[in-house]
Amino acid sequence: MMNVIEIKNLTKTYGKSRGISDISFSVEEGEIFGFIGPNGAGKSTTIRTLLSLIYPTSGSATIFGKDTVQFAPEIKKEIGYLPSEVFYYDNMKVKDLLNYSASFYKKDCSKRIKELAEIMDLDLNKKIDDLSLGNKKKVGIVQGLLHEPKLIILDEPTSGLDPLMQQKFFELLEEENRKGATILFSSHILTEVQRLCNRVAIIKEGKIVTVEKISTLKENTYKKFKVETKETLAPYYFNLPGVNKLEVKGNLTSFLFKGNINEVMRKIAEIEITNLWIEEPDLEEIFMHYYEKEA
Amino acid sequence: MNIFLKEMKSHRKSLLFWSIGIFLMVASGMFKYESLSSSGQPMNEMLGGMPKSMLAVLGIGEFDISTATGYYGLLFIYLLLMATIHAAMLGATIIAKEERDKTTEFLFVKPVSRNRIITAKLLAAFSNILILNLVTFVSSLALVRKYSNGEVVTEDIAMTMAGMFILQLLFMVIGSSLAAGKRKSKSAASLATGVLLLTYVISVAIDLNEDIEGLKYITPFKYFEAKSVMFGGGFEPIFVLLSGVLIAALTVATFVFYKKRDLNV
Repeated sequence: MMNVIEIKNLTKTYGKSRGISDISFSVEEGEIFGFIGPNGAGKSTTIRTLLSLIYPTSGSATIFGKDTVQFAPEIKKEIGYLPSEVFYYDNMKVKDLLNYSASFYKKDCSKRIKELAEIMDLDLNKKIDDLSLGNKKKVGIVQGLLHEPKLIILDEPTSGLDPLMQQKFFELLEEENRKGATILFSSHILTEVQRLCNRVAIIKEGKIVTVEKISTLKENTYKKFKVETKETLAPYYFNLPGVNKLEVKGNLTSFLFKGNINEVMRKIAEIEITNLWIEEPDLEEIFMHYYEKEA
Repeated sequence: MNIFLKEMKSHRKSLLFWSIGIFLMVASGMFKYESLSSSGQPMNEMLGGMPKSMLAVLGIGEFDISTATGYYGLLFIYLLLMATIHAAMLGATIIAKEERDKTTEFLFVKPVSRNRIITAKLLAAFSNILILNLVTFVSSLALVRKYSNGEVVTEDIAMTMAGMFILQLLFMVIGSSLAAGKRKSKSAASLATGVLLLTYVISVAIDLNEDIEGLKYITPFKYFEAKSVMFGGGFEPIFVLLSGVLIAALTVATFVFYKKRDLNV
């Protein structure tokens, strides 16, 4: 399978910000690839380097097999980009802005603009200044997709969207993906990446920690259990293989578990409980997991 | 073409205000001339009593301000200041505004090269300063003619306007090259205006003190002065050449700097 994006030893250091160092990964054609890490880890820096808004200090990247710096204008014909914060020229109507955006691509996008605006419930006749943050984001979504790009790059795309719109947006992305678009989806929210992506790259402090399939990642991560019981449990009750950080505080027992979840469920079924919490580990805990593995 | 039209549209209002401003400047200046000349006081005599340094600071110098063209020569320096400030600020902001308004992530992810974006922007700025120049030309021509008592003025004014246009271009590319080269491009407009005022002050200093006449090469305000262009036989080739070289070099610098820079997002 062809790699749509190939990043080789990409390094960018500048100013006070951390930048990125020695990043390498590839995104295959037709996949939805998650790019995940906390704020300031270097996700936007990587994306902006791919888009030649900034230039690499060393290393290189190709998109559609072409160097991102040398062939920037050419490869951008087939890229749709949604930045994390959308800013547009004031004093323009949504319609005018979208038409201006479309005028850069040598095709008629008017039909697609209407379709997308309908899906995203966006009023084309409003002035951009008058729009709420969420509606500006919708303009960004339509703007990024109106030319039916082969590669969609999204940088923290869901901030500002309400859950309903987020749902519609995800469906839209899945639809584009079915039609053949490759998607690079950057986020700091694990659940949305899990929902959409096939594979993820995890970045922290400017370095790639791991590139994994979502399914593998899930198998390898902990679940947080918190069990409230009528009577205080013996401290060794949950002492199974795969259990970590077991703590018993009065009637509340908590631990981390990695492995076959049924084993724990059976143990829980045998005792009288009053409440139960099972939580996905948050991103920070995933990182902990990967750092522990490295150490 | 789309970027050019967008820029023309977004500078429409500001160009209109500058045009009105420059028209009012010419109108109020020539109106003052009318009241001065009709008051019957021999103006040259009055000015003759003033110290030379004072005349230099006021920009009056060697003009015969009892004639409409002489008076216009005096007024010209203020028109020139206005037009070049406009050009310097326009040149800087037209380049810097994408970063200022955070629209870089819109424009620079489109399938156009940075060179094409800069070309479109500079062409739009060029058109703007050309229009302001023509507005100045037409207002000057109409108003000076009104008071000139049949004196032929068209050629003199055309010459000063040609000189003004060269300086407008020069300050436009000073502004654009600063905006392209500076890491914090937002401050380019104020820096360009600073350069402009500094060179203007130097030109006044030269009028005050003949010992520093050698400095005339570093201040564009000495290149096409009304007193020499209108009454001293036109442009000096050395200054036309010097401006041409500077304009070309700074235009190239704008492209080169901008192509290499990391955009502030």
